[in-house]
Amino acid sequence: MTIAKTILGALAGVAVAASAVPALAQKTIALGYQAPLTGEMSQYGEVFRNSATMAVEQFNKSGKLPGATVVLKFEDSKNDAKEGVNIAKKFVDDQEIVGVLGDFSSTVSMAAAQVYAQAGVPQLSQTASHPDYVKISEWQFRNITTQAYEGPFVAKWALGEGKKKIAVIAIQNDWGQSVVSNFKDAVEKNGGQITAVEFYNPGNRDFRTILTKIARERPDAIYLGMFDEDGATLMQQRRQLNVQIPTYATSSLYSPKLVALAGPSADGLKLSTTFAVDNPEPVVKAYVDEYKARYKADPTMFAAQAYDATNIMLAAIAKVGPNVDRKSLRDALAQTAGFPGVTGETTFDPQTREPSKQLARMEIKGGQFTLVK
Amino acid sequence: MGAHFRGFSMFDAFFVQQLVNGFSVGLVYALIAIGFTLIFGVLNVVNFAHGEVYMVGAYAGVVLITAFAPPLIAVVLFVMAVGAVAGFGLERLAFKPFRRFQDEASLKSKAMREATLLSSLAVSIVVREIVEKLFGGAMRPVPFEAQLTEPIQVGDLSFSTGQFVIFGAAVAMFAGLQFLLYRTRIGLSIRAVANNPLGAKYVGINTDRTIIATFVVGSVMGAVAGILVALYYGSVFPHMGFAPGVKAFVAMVMGGLSSIPGAVICAIFLGLSEAVATEFLAQGWSELIAYGFLLLTLIFFPTGLFGGARDRV
Repeated sequence: MTIAKTILGALAGVAVAASAVPALAQKTIALGYQAPLTGEMSQYGEVFRNSATMAVEQFNKSGKLPGATVVLKFEDSKNDAKEGVNIAKKFVDDQEIVGVLGDFSSTVSMAAAQVYAQAGVPQLSQTASHPDYVKISEWQFRNITTQAYEGPFVAKWALGEGKKKIAVIAIQNDWGQSVVSNFKDAVEKNGGQITAVEFYNPGNRDFRTILTKIARERPDAIYLGMFDEDGATLMQQRRQLNVQIPTYATSSLYSPKLVALAGPSADGLKLSTTFAVDNPEPVVKAYVDEYKARYKADPTMFAAQAYDATNIMLAAIAKVGPNVDRKSLRDALAQTAGFPGVTGETTFDPQTREPSKQLARMEIKGGQFTLVK
Repeated sequence: MGAHFRGFSMFDAFFVQQLVNGFSVGLVYALIAIGFTLIFGVLNVVNFAHGEVYMVGAYAGVVLITAFAPPLIAVVLFVMAVGAVAGFGLERLAFKPFRRFQDEASLKSKAMREATLLSSLAVSIVVREIVEKLFGGAMRPVPFEAQLTEPIQVGDLSFSTGQFVIFGAAVAMFAGLQFLLYRTRIGLSIRAVANNPLGAKYVGINTDRTIIATFVVGSVMGAVAGILVALYYGSVFPHMGFAPGVKAFVAMVMGGLSSIPGAVICAIFLGLSEAVATEFLAQGWSELIAYGFLLLTLIFFPTGLFGGARDRV
């Protein structure tokens, strides 16, 4: 024991000494990351932290930014807007921080955004998809495509498969409403028809009544705007009710948990997504392999979003160099074009700061998400 | 459904399906309301932890199924045992300490009785948080082989195995409870304590033991309801007891607070009206129906639809 400890200690000492030599000249650049790390949404904050930590470690090792080390500072927003604002104030006062990642939901991200807009700190959210988020100020960026992009994509896919009459089921919140309005407009513009729009309250566990109601109109397809737990419950009850209407969904249902909860009931569900674990592209494969090795789990779409968001931020820092500040980082972020991430190539519109990226089509077959070519 | 309905009168088949949907939701509320109402009847206070007993029953059953995959009857027996322990422990922790003074003033004190509202609420929060720490806040699937979600097609209507099991369980619980209350000695003492706790004490009934027995019986029913509903919905989560618990509470109040048949009838009525309301309104509004009925009942029938005129209520 003692010998082993001595050797370990010696090795550690050498390692510290080795890294300490260049570290003497190293400058520290900090990025703030606010996300729900406890509470009901902690599952998302946790994968953000995993991916961001991994991205920063890889970046520091890569030598892309000589003379400086990037560190992450995490704060737990508990998915609460008030907490989000407090964290934003704390980050703004921290002079080491040049940019901020997060928050998770549009609501919290937008509350914090007011603080960052005033103080002039670039904020990049991996998931805030509310249309108004990037309109707050020139300091807000996002890395997720919005429903304005996804709705028409799925609408054209369904219409292309001959589904002319479509019923929509969505969660009753800001996001659900943007799902419905974008999808509805696209379907109607392209010659389709919406037979019913059904909103349900968050927390609802019984979709049988909604499914029975919309089945009466005999739509060609159903479109779902919801998250994995609701989606799994709905798909199970759809099978129980023997409703065989083909079903499409937003990318929010792209989660291993959907299949874990719904099992065979989820088969046949079609959805769009920007990230697929089994994507053979080298950049995706490298990310998935390392994530699995580190965290013993498949990365979700949310993990991939955070990985890309962090890397976009790091690429902008590398572009400016070790003397990066909040303003120069913002300008570099705004110039992001064709960034090769794991969720596709991302380009920020220099004016609106809206991202554009490629969407993939997926179908669940035999309990597996499979890419539709 | 879908193709099966073609050629039929649309309104009939879909509407009847909607009634089936509503009836099964109502039965879920009724399963919870039975145990809830039993405990209320005896103590005259709401046991806020009943939803957590339901949740604990579901988790205990799922843990057993995941580990050993035993037959359903073994799962139910195990969950009954867990429910009994939970009921005993809950009574010991949250209710018994408020009965430690045996003088007449304390026994009659409303404050002592109503303090258990908060103590049971406290126990419910602690239990829910512990389960969340142990198992995580997210939904967990029930192993698929054990789920009661197989579709059963009867003509144009779609049922599932869980609906029949829950119906059977509700009938069995209801009948079993009526037998217990009206044909056994412990049932007699439960009714006596419910009627007049002080009087029961004076005639030599061991009220303490009767109250414990009530908690055990009520919690066994709550726990069994939990596992059956979990198998029917295919998942468990720490907050699962809250929403149906609130509806069971509404059913209990509408039914007259201490009438078990009244609570069951009102629970089924609530489920049916929610399903039928979804036909005409968005699902989000169906909640309004349940609470609307509650308000109407309280305004026009202050003692509930099936409640006798009791001065304690």
